[in-house]
Amino acid sequence: MTDKADQPTLKAAILKKKRETYTPVVPDMQLGFVHNNVDCIGCRACEIACKDKNGLPPGPRFRRVQYVEGGIYPEVFAFKINMSCNHCAEPACLPTCPTGAIFKRKDNGVVDIDSTLCIGCRKCEAACPFGAPQFNVELNIVQKCNMCIDELEAGRKPYCVSACMMRVLDIGPINELRDGTYETKAVGPNDSVVRQVKSMADPELTDPSIVFVAHSKGRMDNG
Amino acid sequence: MIGKPDLTRLAALLTPTRRAFLQATAATTATALIGGRATPAQAFAYEPYPRDDDLTTVVTSCAHNCGSRHMLVAHKKGDVIVRLSTDNGTYQGDAYGTDTEEKPQLRACLRGRSYRVRLYSPERLLYPMKRVGKRGEGKFKRISWDQALSEISERMVYLRDKYGPTALLDQAYAGASYGVLHKSDQIEGLQARFLGMFGCRTNSWSVPSYQGTTSSSRWTFGTIQDGNEDDAYAHTKLMIMWGWNPAYTFHGGNTFYYLRMAKQRGCKFVVIDPQYTDSAAAYDAWWIPIRPNTDAAMMAGMAYYIFDKGLQDQAFIDRFVQGMDAGTMPDWAKGQESFKDYILGVSDGVPKTPEWASEICGVPAADIIKLADMYATTKPAALKASWAPGRAAFGEQYNRMAAALQAMTGNIGVLGGCAEGVGKGWHPESVAYPYDQNANIWYASIKSDRWAHIVLNYPNVTRVEAGLWPRSDNLDGVIPNIRGIFWQGSDWLNQLTNINKEIEAIRKLEAEGDSESLLVCLDATITPTGIWADYLLPSCTHFERHDVALPWYKGHYYIHRPKVIEPLGESKTDFQIFTELAYRLGFGPAYNPKADRSYFDYNDAVDEAYLFDWWSKVQFNQGVTWSWEEFKAHGVYKFVLPEPHVAFREQIEQGKPFETSSGKIEIFSTELAQVQDWTLTRWGEYIPAIPKWIEPWESLNHPKTKDFPFHMITPHPRWRTHSIFNNIGWLRETFSQETTINASDAKRLGLQTGDTVEIWNERGKVITPVYVTERCMPGVVVLHEGSWMDIDENGVDRSGNPDFLTLDNPSPAGAFAYNTLLVDVKKTELNHRPGWDQLATARSHIFRRDQ
Repeated sequence: MTDKADQPTLKAAILKKKRETYTPVVPDMQLGFVHNNVDCIGCRACEIACKDKNGLPPGPRFRRVQYVEGGIYPEVFAFKINMSCNHCAEPACLPTCPTGAIFKRKDNGVVDIDSTLCIGCRKCEAACPFGAPQFNVELNIVQKCNMCIDELEAGRKPYCVSACMMRVLDIGPINELRDGTYETKAVGPNDSVVRQVKSMADPELTDPSIVFVAHSKGRMDNG
Repeated sequence: MIGKPDLTRLAALLTPTRRAFLQATAATTATALIGGRATPAQAFAYEPYPRDDDLTTVVTSCAHNCGSRHMLVAHKKGDVIVRLSTDNGTYQGDAYGTDTEEKPQLRACLRGRSYRVRLYSPERLLYPMKRVGKRGEGKFKRISWDQALSEISERMVYLRDKYGPTALLDQAYAGASYGVLHKSDQIEGLQARFLGMFGCRTNSWSVPSYQGTTSSSRWTFGTIQDGNEDDAYAHTKLMIMWGWNPAYTFHGGNTFYYLRMAKQRGCKFVVIDPQYTDSAAAYDAWWIPIRPNTDAAMMAGMAYYIFDKGLQDQAFIDRFVQGMDAGTMPDWAKGQESFKDYILGVSDGVPKTPEWASEICGVPAADIIKLADMYATTKPAALKASWAPGRAAFGEQYNRMAAALQAMTGNIGVLGGCAEGVGKGWHPESVAYPYDQNANIWYASIKSDRWAHIVLNYPNVTRVEAGLWPRSDNLDGVIPNIRGIFWQGSDWLNQLTNINKEIEAIRKLEAEGDSESLLVCLDATITPTGIWADYLLPSCTHFERHDVALPWYKGHYYIHRPKVIEPLGESKTDFQIFTELAYRLGFGPAYNPKADRSYFDYNDAVDEAYLFDWWSKVQFNQGVTWSWEEFKAHGVYKFVLPEPHVAFREQIEQGKPFETSSGKIEIFSTELAQVQDWTLTRWGEYIPAIPKWIEPWESLNHPKTKDFPFHMITPHPRWRTHSIFNNIGWLRETFSQETTINASDAKRLGLQTGDTVEIWNERGKVITPVYVTERCMPGVVVLHEGSWMDIDENGVDRSGNPDFLTLDNPSPAGAFAYNTLLVDVKKTELNHRPGWDQLATARSHIFRRDQ
C-alpha cells in the first residue's frame, strides 16, 4: 500500500484543488499522443510494456488497444484505436477528485495522480469519457498513464511509444501534431491527422491531447 | 511534414524546464500553496519508484522459439529485474532514437515484454522433482540434484543395455533457447549431442513448423537459405501474403515494419487466407478467402492463366529452371511430364484452368485470373508462400507450386521479388559449443509425429509408417523400441498432433512397470508435458546464464546475453545438467572439453571461454572489428549490409549454379524423379517429380463434411509462442483462447460471441469460448494452437487445445497435418477452463460501429 498523506497535507491539497477546479493549468507546452489507426497491427506490445513499466497486475490497463471491425463477409474492414490517458486540456477527472490528488503539470500538460492523496473513490473513473483512470484492486487506488514522466524528464519517450514495433504511436507537442508540422513516423507521407474518430467521445468535452490517422471507415465525415 | 525528427529538441525542451522548475519550487513549496499559484505536486505518483537511471541497465534479448529475436534491456535493482525496456538506438553506440532503414531498432513484441512475469512466475521450476503419483497426475516431490541425476543415469544405462540404441527418444525443441551456446534443438542442440554420445538416441527428423516447406525448398533450390532479409520487402511493388500473418507471428526482426514502408512506397498487398487477418487490415490488402488446404489448386489455376496468355518470363525459365516446360527438361528425362504439360493437361487430360481451380478452392475464377495477371505483370512482385498452408496433407505441393510461380515470373534473385519458402536469410555464426563428429548422432530417425504410433504398435510397424530415415548400416529400417523420452525446451506432448493417442502411448509404457521406461523433462517452468514426466529438472532461463542471441530466421545482428541475475532456486543451465550427466555416464570430458567436473557449480569461466572462441569466428568470418570486450560493453552488434540481402542474387546476376544437382531451380526434381523404391526413402510414399495438386485427406470438398461440416485451422497465436507464455496473466488479459467462427455459421448454430462451444471429431473434444465475426470464411473455424491441456474426467480438454483434434498422419514429405482436420461445433454447458483467472478480457471487446 502507498503511504497516505497526513491531515494537514490533505487539507492543503483540497484547498488547492478548489482553486484549480475552474481554472485548469495552461501548460507551457502540451504534449500529446498520435496514433495511426490503419497501420497499427494491434499487437499490444505497448500495453504490455506499460504494464511492466508500471508494475500493474492483470486488471488495470493504462493503455488500451481497441479493436474495431465491421462489414459483411467478404467485404470487411478492421482497424485499431489506441488510447491511454489523453492528458486533456480540460480534464474531466480533475474537478471530480475530492482530495486534489489529480493535477496537471505546468511544464508539459501531463495529467497525473498523486497516489499518496488518492482515496480510491473512483469518481474520476466515472467522469472520464475515454476510460483512462484505472482502478487497482490490489492497491485500492485509481492509477493512470502519466506519460512515463520519469522518462520524459530523462529526455526519453514513454515506454509505450518506445515499444511500438510498427512505429505508429508517438508523442509530441500537440499543437505541432495537429497542424502536421511535427515529424513523426506515426504519420505516413500521404496521411493526415484528425482529432476525433468514430466510436470516440466528443473532443469538445475535455479537449483531449491526441490525434489519429483515421481509417476510411472510422472518419467522422464518412457516412 | 516539415522539420526533422525531433527527439533531442523534445528532450531539451522537457528536461531543463522541468528540472529548473523543480529547483525553483523546491525552496518555496510551502509558500506556493499559500500563495495561490497553480503548482504541480512534487510527489511522483508512484513513489517510491526506481527510475531507469537509478537502476543497473543490462542489455539482453528474448529467447523463445518464434523466429524473431529482439532486444530486451533489463533494469535491475540488486539481483532483481524490476523492469524491461527495449532497443532505443543507443546501445550500438548511436544517438538516442536512431532507427534507420539500414539499422532499425530491434523492438520486442508483447511476448518479449512480458518476460519478467515468466521469469518470476509461480510456475517456475526451482528444484529437481520426482514423480510420486501416476504419470500425468501431477504429483511430485523435491529431491536433490545428486539423487535425480544418479537415478536418471542408472535408468538410462539399464534401458540402453536392455532395449538397444534406439530406446531413448530425443524430443528436444527450440523452446529453451536459440542461443549460440545453450541450444535446444534436434540437430545442433545440447541434448542431441548428449544422447548421441551416450549411444542411445532416436531422432525426430520432421520439423513441426515447416517440414513441407523445407522439403520443397531443398528439392527446388537445394537449400533452405532461400530467404531475403526483411528490409528487401520494402522494395517490392506487389506483396502476395499467402497464409502469412506477420502481425501475429512477428516473424523476423522488423518484417512487419518494412512491409509498412513498402505500403507507403505504393506497394499493393494481397492476402490469401481463410481469415481477414490483422495483417490484411494493417496493409489494406485485397483479401481472397480460400478453402483451407486447396492452395496448390488455386496456384495451378494461376499458372494456367500465365502460360495460356504467354506471360511467363521465358528467358528466365530457359536459363535458370529445370522442368518448367518440355524445353527445359533434362536430357535424361526427355518425354517425361513437365510442369507445363501438367498444368495444360497434356498428360492427364485435365487443363488446370482458373475455372477448374475455382471449383476446388472456392475462389471465383475471375479473382484467380486477376491475381495471376497482377503477379505476372508487376515487376518486381513478391509471392511470400508462408509455412502455414504447408502444414497440411500434401502441404509440400503447395510450397512447390508457389516456387513454380515464383520461377515462371522471374521473381527469384531480384530485389523486391521473393523465393520463400523457408525464408532463412543472412547466415549467422550459430554454434559456440563443441560442434564436432559427436553432434547429432542417431540410431534411428522418425517422422516426429509418429512416435506414439510406433510405441503403441511396436513391433508391428513398417518403416513407411514410422517415416524412417535411411541408414547405410545394419540399423537401416530397424523400428525403434522407444522406452523413454527426453524433453528439453520442448512441450511436444502438448504440441504434437492427436494428443489422446500420445497419452495412450505413455499409458502403455507405464503399464510395463516404472523401471522399464523413463520420461525426463528439462524446462524453466512446469509445462503440460512436464506434468507427465518422471523427473523434472529445473533449467534456468536465459536471464540466468551467459550466452549470445541471434535471430535464426531473419535479421543480421547479435545480442549479448550476460548472466543478468543469479539462477533462481537450484536451477542450472542445460549445459551444466548434461555435462554432469555425461560425467556420471563416463564421457564428461569429451562432451564438454573446456570444462571439468566442477562445471556443475562453476560455469562462468567455461561459458565465457566458449563464447570468446565463438566471437573469434565472427571476427574472422564476418569481418567484425569489435573485440569481444567491446561487444560485451555494447550488448548488441548490428551488421549494416551494403545492399539488402536477396536470396539467389549471385545465381541470377553472376550465373553461380544453384545448390541442386542440376545447378538449376528444379521444378522437375532430379532427386524425386530418380527414386526407385519409395518404401526405402524417408518419405515412404510416391511424390511426383513436379508440383501437383493432390486432394488432401480431409477438406471442405470431402464427403466427410456431412458429419463434420467445419474445417478447422490451427494457426499460431499472438499472445503465446506455441505453448510458451500461456501462463502469463498480462497476456491472457489481452487475448483469450477462443474459437473464431463466421457470423452466418454462428447464427445457424445459435451462437454469440462469448458463448462456450464444444468442438469434436473422432479423435477428441475440446471446449472454448467462441468469437463470432464476419472476418472468417464460412465453413472454417479457427483455434490457435498451444493452450495448456486440461483434461477432465471424461477425457475432454477444457483448455481448448486443438491438437486433441488433429491427425497424427504426416504428409509424405514429412509436413505435419496441423491444418487438415474436419470438426463439428455446438453450444455446450461444459465449462471452458482457461487455467488462470481472467480478470479482464479485452480481445472480445470488439466493437462493431457500422450498424
